[in-house]
Amino acid sequence: MLAPSAPAIPADGIQLDRGALSAQHLQVFYGRKQALFDVDIDLTPHTVNALIGPSGCGKTTFLRAINRLHDLTPEARVEGKILLDGIDIYDRSIDPVDLRRRVGMVFQKPNPFPTMSVVDNVTAGLRLTGVRHRGKLQEAAERALVQAALWDEVKDRLRQPALRLSGGQQQRLCIARALAVEPEVLLMDEPTSALDPQSTARIEDLLGSLKQQVTVIIVTHNMQQAARISDTTAFFLAGSLVELGPTDAIFTNPSDPRTEAYVTGRFG
Amino acid sequence: MKFPRVQTVLTVIAAVIPLALLAILLFLGSYAWPAIRFNGLGFLFKLTWNLGNLYANPVTVAGQVVPRGAQYGILVFIAGTLLSSAIALLLAVPLSIGIAVFLTEAVGGTLRELLSFVVELLAGVPSVVYGLWGYAVLIPLVAHQIGPFLRSALGFLPVFAGSVGSGYGLLTAGLVLALMVVPIIASTLRDALLHVPIPLKEGAYALGATHHEVVREVMLPAVRSNLVAASILGLGRALGETMAVLMVSGGALNYLPHNIYSPVTTMAAFILSQLDSALTDPTGMAVRSLAEIAVVLFLISLLVNLVARLLIWQTERRSRVAHG
Repeated sequence: MLAPSAPAIPADGIQLDRGALSAQHLQVFYGRKQALFDVDIDLTPHTVNALIGPSGCGKTTFLRAINRLHDLTPEARVEGKILLDGIDIYDRSIDPVDLRRRVGMVFQKPNPFPTMSVVDNVTAGLRLTGVRHRGKLQEAAERALVQAALWDEVKDRLRQPALRLSGGQQQRLCIARALAVEPEVLLMDEPTSALDPQSTARIEDLLGSLKQQVTVIIVTHNMQQAARISDTTAFFLAGSLVELGPTDAIFTNPSDPRTEAYVTGRFG
Repeated sequence: MKFPRVQTVLTVIAAVIPLALLAILLFLGSYAWPAIRFNGLGFLFKLTWNLGNLYANPVTVAGQVVPRGAQYGILVFIAGTLLSSAIALLLAVPLSIGIAVFLTEAVGGTLRELLSFVVELLAGVPSVVYGLWGYAVLIPLVAHQIGPFLRSALGFLPVFAGSVGSGYGLLTAGLVLALMVVPIIASTLRDALLHVPIPLKEGAYALGATHHEVVREVMLPAVRSNLVAASILGLGRALGETMAVLMVSGGALNYLPHNIYSPVTTMAAFILSQLDSALTDPTGMAVRSLAEIAVVLFLISLLVNLVARLLIWQTERRSRVAHG
């Protein structure tokens, strides 16, 4: 077998098809308990992909496999492959720290760094990679905040503590923080579940433009949200991927009766 | 009006502590009052502690009857107390941070529990044991190894230059005190680090932070106010420590330390060591002056704790405003 090699990258750095993600025979165990069973999935770059399913169905477990966050839990074990741009991220040669710079994550509750200012939160990832140039950091912060639709609200209070922002603003700050390191994939774990409807709407509006930069994978409990925002929807049940397809098809004409039962609200 | 009985009882119980604090201060203050009148402000700034001629007829000064030639100045002891405690904190804080980080991040499970238990056990060792260890082990070590090494390595700084002495002194006192406050600071900080919210840590990991960076950039900043509180707790212990310091500090009188090896005396150790001779003063002024030292020590401790409280309130308020 050939060793995995990086895909050809054009010299000018434009990588239009960056962010192609697929899983092969992915299984996740917590100790003896298996949480994910043989998941095969193929996601197109620059799309918004919703993961739906009842609580405990494995959608968050799947999400956390993509940036190897399970590595932090000693009893968690991952088998199978996840290919990012054709390379298995569980290969020995891959450093999870490097991987996490290519795969950003936004959590259920806003988790800005409480001791840092707004701008320091946004540039935290870049500073971790060793960027020290003030001008570059400032520029990157502005770009990320614009992308996260937060710039206009915070441009006059960049030096204030991040925790002074409202909950919705804090969540967009976390999105900006993830975008600032220019990842290929953005994982979102129920990013609006702790927010009011207005803040939720702002973040949903954002997703359409975010896919220009990244492949978005979003876990949501809210099926209307999945229908509104995603191009593709994956339905998980009891640790298995039941169905993956264009969002329209999943919600109007699913091929699996279990999917139909779930999206029509018969359980979940 | 019906006041629930349980509440009354609890209020009374809760009031006991501030009342006891007030009672101690009032008692000490009134007992020391003749000394406060006699010594004036010079008490804090004079170097000389002299009981005077205890066999001559007493004289009356400023309305107080005192032995002829008596003079009470405690600048030496204030300096000894503050300097030895400062050295202790300077050594103990970084060491405690290291221990706390090790206990939360490097080991887990049973080993963490076991080592944490050992650290907490150190806090319960009687101070006289630390003192004896300092006397038997640390003093020769400071006199023959640590002192000469510091002088040759850092001798260009006046603090580290000059005679290394016999091993009794500021450095040894600071080392013993450091050892005594490390368990207090380390175990408090360990608890705080264990309670740093997981989403906060995961947020940093998800951004591509290494384990080391998560600790340095996220966890330690998150426990800043706990560190201040723990350090003050340790400082309180160091300021008031008596026995262990008395055994290793060299007991300086009428003499300010001129380098880090100089003999010193702390306020607490001085009260203990001088009580016997002070009791031979027929006018009682010597004992009352010792009580005045206790008042000063009490006030310094109170001040230190007050400052710590303010610092903690400030950081807490900042994050509370943030959430609101």
